[in-house]
Amino acid sequence: MMTLEMLNLSIAMPEMFLLALACTVLVVDVYLKDSQRNVTYMLSQLGLIITLILISQQTPQNNEWTRELAFNGLFVNDLLATVLKYAVVLLVAIVFVYSRRYLQDRNIFKGEFYVLGLFGLLGMMVMISANHFLSMYLGLELLSLSLYAMVAFDRENPNAAEAAMKYFVLGAIASGMLLYGMSMVYGMTGSLNIVEVAVALDQMEGDNIVLIFGLVFMVIGISFKLGAVPFHMWIPDVYHGSPTTVTSYIATAPKVAGFAMVIRLLAESMGSFQADWQGMMIILAVLSMAVGNVIAIAQTNLKRLLAYSTISHVGFIMLGLLAGNQEGYSAAMFYTLTYTLMSLGGFGIIILLTRKGFEADNINDLKGLNQRSPWFAFIMLIVVFSMAGVPPTVGFWAKLAVLKAVVNIDMLWLALVAVFFSIIGIFYYLRIIKLMYFDDAEDKSEINCTRDMQIALSANGLSVLMLGLYPAALMSICIAAFS
Amino acid sequence: MTFFEVVFYAFSTLMVVAALGVVSARNPVHSVLFLVLTFFAGSAIWLLLEAEFLAITLVLVYVGAVMVLFLFVVMMLDINITRMREGLMRYAPFGIAIAILLIVQMIMVVGPENFGLQAFAAPELHGADYSNTKELGRVLYTDYVYAFELASVILLVAIVAAITLTMRRRPNTRHQIPGEQMKVMKQDRLRIVNMKSETIDSEDK
Amino acid sequence: MDMELIYLAIPLASLFGAIMAGFFGKAIGRSGAHTVTIAGVATSFILSLMAYNHIVLEAGDIYNQTVYTWMVSDGLRFEIGFLIDQLTVMMLCVVTGVSLMVHLYTIGYMHDDPGYQRFFSYISLFTFAMLMLVMSNNFLQLFFGWEAVGLVSYLLIGFWYKRETAIYANLKAFLVNRVGDFGFILGIAAVVMYAGSLDYKEVFSAAPQIANQTINLVGDEQWSVMTVICILLFVGAMGKSAQFPLHVWLPDSMEGPTPISALIHAATMVTAGIFMVARMSPLFEFSETALAFVMIAGAITALFMGLIGIVQNDIKRVVAYSTLSQLGYMTVALGVSAYSAGVFHLMTHAFFKALLFLAAGSVIIAMHHEQDMRKMGGLRKYMPITWITSLIGSLALIGFPGFSGFFSKDSIILAVGESHLPGADIVYLMVLAGVFVTAFYSFRMYFLVFHGEERMDQHTKEHLHETPWVVTVPLVVLAFFSVVIGWVTIEPMLFGEYFKDVIFVKESHNVLSQVGEHYHGQWAMIQHGIASWPFALAMAGVGTAWYIYMKNPQIAVTASQKFSFIYKMLDKKYWMDELYVKVFSDGSRGLGKGFWKGGDVAIIDGLIINGSAKLVGWFASVVRHMQTGMLYHYAFAMIIGLVGLLYLFASPVS
Repeated sequence: MMTLEMLNLSIAMPEMFLLALACTVLVVDVYLKDSQRNVTYMLSQLGLIITLILISQQTPQNNEWTRELAFNGLFVNDLLATVLKYAVVLLVAIVFVYSRRYLQDRNIFKGEFYVLGLFGLLGMMVMISANHFLSMYLGLELLSLSLYAMVAFDRENPNAAEAAMKYFVLGAIASGMLLYGMSMVYGMTGSLNIVEVAVALDQMEGDNIVLIFGLVFMVIGISFKLGAVPFHMWIPDVYHGSPTTVTSYIATAPKVAGFAMVIRLLAESMGSFQADWQGMMIILAVLSMAVGNVIAIAQTNLKRLLAYSTISHVGFIMLGLLAGNQEGYSAAMFYTLTYTLMSLGGFGIIILLTRKGFEADNINDLKGLNQRSPWFAFIMLIVVFSMAGVPPTVGFWAKLAVLKAVVNIDMLWLALVAVFFSIIGIFYYLRIIKLMYFDDAEDKSEINCTRDMQIALSANGLSVLMLGLYPAALMSICIAAFS
Repeated sequence: MTFFEVVFYAFSTLMVVAALGVVSARNPVHSVLFLVLTFFAGSAIWLLLEAEFLAITLVLVYVGAVMVLFLFVVMMLDINITRMREGLMRYAPFGIAIAILLIVQMIMVVGPENFGLQAFAAPELHGADYSNTKELGRVLYTDYVYAFELASVILLVAIVAAITLTMRRRPNTRHQIPGEQMKVMKQDRLRIVNMKSETIDSEDK
Repeated sequence: MDMELIYLAIPLASLFGAIMAGFFGKAIGRSGAHTVTIAGVATSFILSLMAYNHIVLEAGDIYNQTVYTWMVSDGLRFEIGFLIDQLTVMMLCVVTGVSLMVHLYTIGYMHDDPGYQRFFSYISLFTFAMLMLVMSNNFLQLFFGWEAVGLVSYLLIGFWYKRETAIYANLKAFLVNRVGDFGFILGIAAVVMYAGSLDYKEVFSAAPQIANQTINLVGDEQWSVMTVICILLFVGAMGKSAQFPLHVWLPDSMEGPTPISALIHAATMVTAGIFMVARMSPLFEFSETALAFVMIAGAITALFMGLIGIVQNDIKRVVAYSTLSQLGYMTVALGVSAYSAGVFHLMTHAFFKALLFLAAGSVIIAMHHEQDMRKMGGLRKYMPITWITSLIGSLALIGFPGFSGFFSKDSIILAVGESHLPGADIVYLMVLAGVFVTAFYSFRMYFLVFHGEERMDQHTKEHLHETPWVVTVPLVVLAFFSVVIGWVTIEPMLFGEYFKDVIFVKESHNVLSQVGEHYHGQWAMIQHGIASWPFALAMAGVGTAWYIYMKNPQIAVTASQKFSFIYKMLDKKYWMDELYVKVFSDGSRGLGKGFWKGGDVAIIDGLIINGSAKLVGWFASVVRHMQTGMLYHYAFAMIIGLVGLLYLFASPVS
C-alpha cells in the first residue's frame, strides 16, 4: 500500500507551488481586460518571489546536504538542484521585468507569455530535479513545448512563425533521439532510475556497444538543447526570429536546465562511460568554439551575433563538463551560471534600445550608445568584456576555471585550442565596443525605459563586474554542489 | 516458424513498408493513409507483447482521432508537391546514402548478438487472468504518479499553446453581427440615383 | 571597543574621505572637501594612537589575522589581512600624524588652486594606500599598497597637469618605479615559489629552509635562493625609496605641490622601502650577500646624493637631495642589520624632513612661488616662525647633539662601525663624510634663505610677511617633535624590547647590542657625541657653509670655476639622467620603433592581424552559408552529426 507520506511531497514544494501559480495566473488572466494585464505581471512576479523563498526553505537542518528523494525516486533534491533552481527562477523573473515594456509596445502584452513562461520554468525545475529518465524527458518536453509556443507568440511576425516551426521540428527530432537513446539504456540496464542505472552500469563489464549507441543518441539530445555544433542550427534562427524578450528567455534559463541535464544524464547515470562521452564532447566542444566564434564575425544582426556567441560559450561549458571530475563540473556550473547572467544583460540592452516599431537588433543600432546613455553603454561594456573573458569581469574567471579543469586532465592542447578561438572571438566583441564608444550615434533618440528595468539591468550588469571582483563565494558554492 | 513468429514478421514487414510509404508517397493524403497503416501494424505488434490496452489506445487515439485530424488538415491545405519535391530530389542521393549508412550502423548494434535471446530471456507469458490494463493503471497512479501529473501538465500547456497560436482576432477580419443585420432599414443600404439614360451613339464618340 | 574594528577603521576612514572628496567634490565644495578629508585622517590618527596605546603601552596582543579572503587558487590564499605589531603602530602614528599635518597645511598652501578637492582626495587616498601597505600581513596586500602609493604619487607629481615639466617628472617617476616594482614582483613570485604562501608568518617560518636552497639562474652558477629573493625585493625598495641607481625620479618629483613633497617624497612613501626591508628582516638575515648589497647601495646614495645637494639652487631640490641622502643612511642601517636604527631614523626623519619641506613651502608661499635661493636672503626678519622652525629642522638634520636626528644618525654611524660585513670599513668612512656634506648643504640653504643680504626684487619684498596659522601651526608642531622625539624614543626603540618580536636579527649580525653596551642614557650619549667625529664633521660643515656663503661669497664662485669639472658633474647629477635618457629611453624607443616597423606593422598587423582577420572573415563568410534557413538542411546537419558520432564511438568494428 502506498501512502501520501511516501511521496515525500514537502521537498517538491517549490514545483508544486509554481504549478499552482501558473494555473492561477492562467485562470485569472482570462477574466482580465487588456488594460489590466499588469495584474498578470504582478501576480507572476509575486509568485516567483514566493517560489524563491520556498526554494531557500529547502536548506537542510544540519547543513549537511544529502540527496533527498521524492515521488518514488523520480524526483531528487540536493544542493546542486537548489542552486540551479534558484538561478532559473531568478533569471526568469528578470526576463519578465525586461519584457513588460517590450510587449506593451508591440501589443502582445498578453497573459499567455507569462503563463507559458511559468510552465517552461516548471519544466526546467523538473529537469533540474530529475532522478529518472522519465521525469527528465517530461520536464524537457514541458519546457520545449512552452518555448515553441513562446517563439511563435507574436503572431503578426512571420519570422517568428518560421522560427517556431523550425525549432519545433528540429526539437522533435532531437527529443526523439534522446528518447531512443534512453530506451537503449533501459533495454540494457532494465531501469530508468538514474541511480539504479548508474549501479547497473558499474556492475557491467567490458565495452557494451549498445550502451554506447544509446549514449550517442542521448548526447545528441542534450547537445541540441545546449546548442552545440552540429546540433546548433536552430539557435541563430530562433534567436533572431523570436521576439527579443522570448530570445532572452531562451538564451538564459534553459541553458541552466541543459547543464542540469548533462549532470544528471551523463555524469550521474552514465558516469562509467565517462571516457566515451568525453570523446564526443571534445569533438562537439571544439566544433562549437570554432563555428560559434568564426561565424559570429560575419554577423550584422546583434541577436544572431549573440546566438553564435552562445554557441561558442556552450563549447566552453562543455570543456568543463568533459573533464568529468569535481573541478570540471563545478567550473562548468560556474561558467553556466555566470554566462546566463551575461547573456541576460546583453539581451537586456537590446530590449532597452527597442521602441515601438523599432527592433534595435542590428549591431549598427549600438552606434554611439555612449553618447546616448553613458551608463548603459558602460553596462554593455561590462557584459561584452565578460563574454570576451576580460578581467576583472566574471567571464575571465569562468574561462580560467574551465581551462584549468581541462589542463588538469592533461589536455593542454584542448585548452590551447579554446584560447585560440576565444581570441578570434574577441574580434567581434571589440567591434561592439568600438561601435558604442567610438562611432557617432545615427539615431539620437531618447532611450525610454521604465525605472524597474533600469534598476534590474544595472544590477544585472554590475553583478557581472562584482562577481568578477569577488568570485570566491559563487565558486565555493559550485564546488560544494559537487562534493 | 510458430504462429507467433509468423504474425510478428508479417506485421513488422507491413510496418516497415508502410513507413517507407509515408516518406515516399507523392500525395500527402497517401502519406497520411500509410501512417495509419503503420500505426495499425504497430498496435498489432504490441498485442503480441500482451500490451492490449496500449494497442487499443493506439488504434483509438492515433488512428481514430489524430490521423483523421491530420487528413483534414492535409486536405484543406493546398500543398505544392512539385516545389517541395525539387529540393528533395536534388539531395536524394546524398540523403539515401546517409540513411543507408545509418541503417547499417543500427543493424550492427541492434542486431541479434546484442538483443538476441541469449542476451535477453524472452518475457514470461502471463495467464488469462492477468490484466494489462489494471497493471498499467496501478503503476501509473502509484510509482509513476509524478510522471503522470507532468504529462497532464504538458497537455495543459499544449492546449494553452494551441489556443494562443490559433485564436485570432485580427483587426481586419470580417464577421457577421446578426443583431445589427436585423436592424438594418432600407434607407441605410439603398440609395436611388437619378441618371440620364445613355445612348449607344454617345459611346461611339 | 573591539580592536579589530579599530584596525579596520584606520584605513577606511581615510578612504572614505578620499571617496567623498574625489567623487562628490563638486557637491560638498571646497570647505566640505577639506573638512571631510581632515576628519577622516584625524579619525585615522586618533585610532592609530589608540592602537599604539593598546599594543605598546598596554602591551596588548599582536594582531595578525585575515580580514577577507579574496580567492584561493591552488592552495595559495589571496587575502586581505592585518598584522598590527610594534613596527606597524609606529608607522601608523607617523603616517597618519604627518598626513594630518600636511592636510592642515594644504588648506593654506593650495588655497587658490582650482584642483582643491582633487588634491585633498589624492592625499587622503595616499594615506589610505600607505596604511594598507604598513598594516598588511601578506605580500599581496603589501604589493597593493606599494602600487597604490606609486599611483597616487604619479597623480600628485603631475597634479599641475598642464605643466610640461610636471608631466615629464611624473612619467619619469612612474617609469623608474616600474623598474623597481618589476624586481619587487619577481621577488614576491620567488617567495611564493619557494615558500608556497603569501602570508608573512608562513613565509618567515619557512625562511630557514629556503636559506639552504640554491637556484640556477644563468649558466652553471648556483645562487642562494634567499640572496635572489632579498635582492629582488630590495630592487623594489630601491625604486620606492630612491636608492642609487633608481634615485633619479625623486628630485624631479618636486614638480608636485609642496605639501605632497613633504608627505610623499619625504616622510612616508619613500620610507616604504625601508619599512619593507625592516619587515622582511627574517628573510634578509639569511643572506649576507644581500645585506652587503643593501649597505653599499645605501652608502653610495648617502654620500653622493648629498654632494649634489651642495650645488642646487632650488630650495626644494636641496631638501630633496637631502632626503635622498638620509634615505641612504637608513638603507645603510638596514644593510648592517641595525633595522631598528633604520626605522628609528625613518621616524625622526619623517618629522624633521616634513618640517623642512613645509618650511620651504612656507618660504615659497611668502616669496610668491619663487623657489630659487639666489633670489632670497635675510628672510628671518620677515618670517620669524618659519626661520626658527627651519633652524630646528636643519639642526635635527645635521644631527646636532640633543636633536632627534642626532640620536638616530649617530646610532647608525656607530652601528656601521661595529659591522663586520665585507666593505663595512669603506662604508663607515662614506657615512662619516656624508655627515660633513649634510651639514654643509643644510646650512648653505639656511644661510642663503634666512641670512645675508636681501636679494629679492622690490615688489616681493614689500609683500613679505609670515604665512597664516594653518601653515605655521604644523611647522611648530613638527618642530616640537623634531626636537624631542629622538630623546624620548631612543631607549625603547634601539636598545629596549620594543622591536624584540618584530625584527629578527641573527646573533652574529647584532651590531646594535654592541652599540648598546656603550649606551648609558641620553645625556651620556650627547656628551659622548660632542666629543666624537660626527659632531666635529658636522660643525666643520656648518662652519664651511658660513664662511663660504656668509663671510666670503667669492669663494663659491671661484671654486666652481676652478673645479669646473666637479661642479659640472655635480650640477649634472653625474650625468645619470642623460645616461638613462640616452641608453634606456632612446634605446628602448629605437628598439620599439624597430619592432613596430618590422614586427608590428609588417608581420603582426600585416600578416597576422590583417591576414588572419581576412582569412577568418573569408572563412566566416563561407561558413555562414551553411546556415541556409532551410529546415531540412538543419535536420540533415543533425543526422550527419549523429552518423559521425556513431561511426566514431559506436562502431563495432573499431
